[in-house]
Formats: sequence, C-alpha cells, structure tokens
Amino acid sequence: MDLLTDSRRRHSRRDILKSSALAIFPLAVGSGNSSLPDQQPMTANGGTEPYPIPWLDKNGSHNQPAGANLEPSHIYHFKGRVARCSTFTGVGTDNQGNRIAFGSPTTDYGVMQGEFWGARAAQQGAFTHI
Amino acid sequence: MFRGPAVPANQIHDFHPPIAPSGLYWVVPVPERALTISPDGNTFTLEMRNVPVVDQPRWPALDSIATPAQMTFKMVWKSTGEPVRYEDPSKHFRFIGTRASCQLEAQVEVPSVGFSWKSGPLNTSKSDFAILGDEVNGRYYDN
Repeated sequence: MDLLTDSRRRHSRRDILKSSALAIFPLAVGSGNSSLPDQQPMTANGGTEPYPIPWLDKNGSHNQPAGANLEPSHIYHFKGRVARCSTFTGVGTDNQGNRIAFGSPTTDYGVMQGEFWGARAAQQGAFTHI
Repeated sequence: MFRGPAVPANQIHDFHPPIAPSGLYWVVPVPERALTISPDGNTFTLEMRNVPVVDQPRWPALDSIATPAQMTFKMVWKSTGEPVRYEDPSKHFRFIGTRASCQLEAQVEVPSVGFSWKSGPLNTSKSDFAILGDEVNGRYYDN
C-alpha cells in the first residue's frame, strides 16, 4: 500500500483550508504580542571578559606556569605590559601568634595591562593572576 | 601557606580567586589606580585591597572545599635591566622585557573560621623568578 498516497486521500479541501488557517495562527499571535517591541536591541558578540590561554597545562587547566621561555600572560589575544613572578619565600603571623611560612615553587603571580580582544572588539583593562 | 617545610603534606591554606566559567585561571580585574608603572617602565607596583578569593587548603584535590576569604596585598616588581626575550610562534606569543626582582606583602582573612594572617614587610620576601616587559599574543602576534 502506498501510505503517502493513501494519506492524501483522507484530506478533503475543507480539511486543508482548516489546517492552513491554524498554521498562520502562531504568526498572528506573534505579531500581536505587545511585549516584543519593548525588548532592548541586543547584540550577540560574547562577553567582554578576556579569553584564557587556549592550550592546557599538564593538569588540564588554562594555567601558565611562570618561568623562562614560558608565556607570561594569562589572557589570550592580548598586547600590553606584563609582569610575572614565582617561587616566593616569606613568612607571616596568624591571629593566634603562630609564625606561618608562605610560598613555594608554584606560588606565582602576574599582572597584565593593555588591550585585549573580547566581544569581537578591542577592550582596555588590567588583570592580575594571584 | 605551610606549617613546616613547603611540601604538599604541610599545606594548611591556599588562597586564590575561583577559576572563571570561561576557564580563565585565577584572574581578576585590577581596579583603576591599583597598578602603577613608573615612567621609565622599570617598576610595577600592584596594590589591591579586600580581593574576594577562596581558601582551598587541599588544593589541587578536586574535592578541596573552597571557603570564601579575602586578600589584601602589595607587590613590587623592579627591573634588573637584564634583557629577556621569549617567543614561540607555534603558540603565537612574544615577550620582550627584562629580568626583575619581586617582593610581596599580604594579609588574608577567612571570616567563617576566624582565621587571619599577615606577612612580614615587603622587604622580607623574595621570589626566585621575575620578569617584566611587553607581550603580544593571539590575534596581535602577527600584527
């Protein structure tokens, strides 16, 4: 049996006219919805926050260790001033009077100031990795 | 922070900002005037107060609990004048600058557990690696 042909035979001209009227109903409702014209115009360019460095470190994070021949910045599509440091040693005191050391080979900081790319446009800003 | 030698078993606190949903790693915006760069570009001073961070004592364990904390710090980089250039065309980055010294003074507070800590003055700390300069990466690398 040809199901397609058979199916068509079941619909009369009146059925088709009814269906057509229902089909345009959503459009009629949409054009009459007064809330849509109140929406603010919007773009869809992504956020203005910076991009992380795209490749991953050995732990699977977008983290760049500090060191010789390693990229100092933590943000991508960036040009500007950077400073980087690691392997801190120092000591401090907690509120109980205990002397507690801070710093290790992986204790690293960085700062970036300049232009970066976000929301498909050049942005200006400063960021720190702490 | 470590009680005793700086090995993972002795770690008692680890303060850092949360990782952003984008993957941006422990990075926070620097408010205006928090970063000052000397006119000759040889000294960077970063000073921020009450930065929201988390304390994850068992970091990097995935189930390390993150307790809200705040951090106030001052960090000073000073160029030594020794030139440095790092570049990797495959990773689209180029850094041109100098080696530097870097010192830090900081204080942290974890209000929910009543913990606070304050480092010694700036000149009592040191870092074994520091650089400062200019970098381009990503879409700016070839321009």
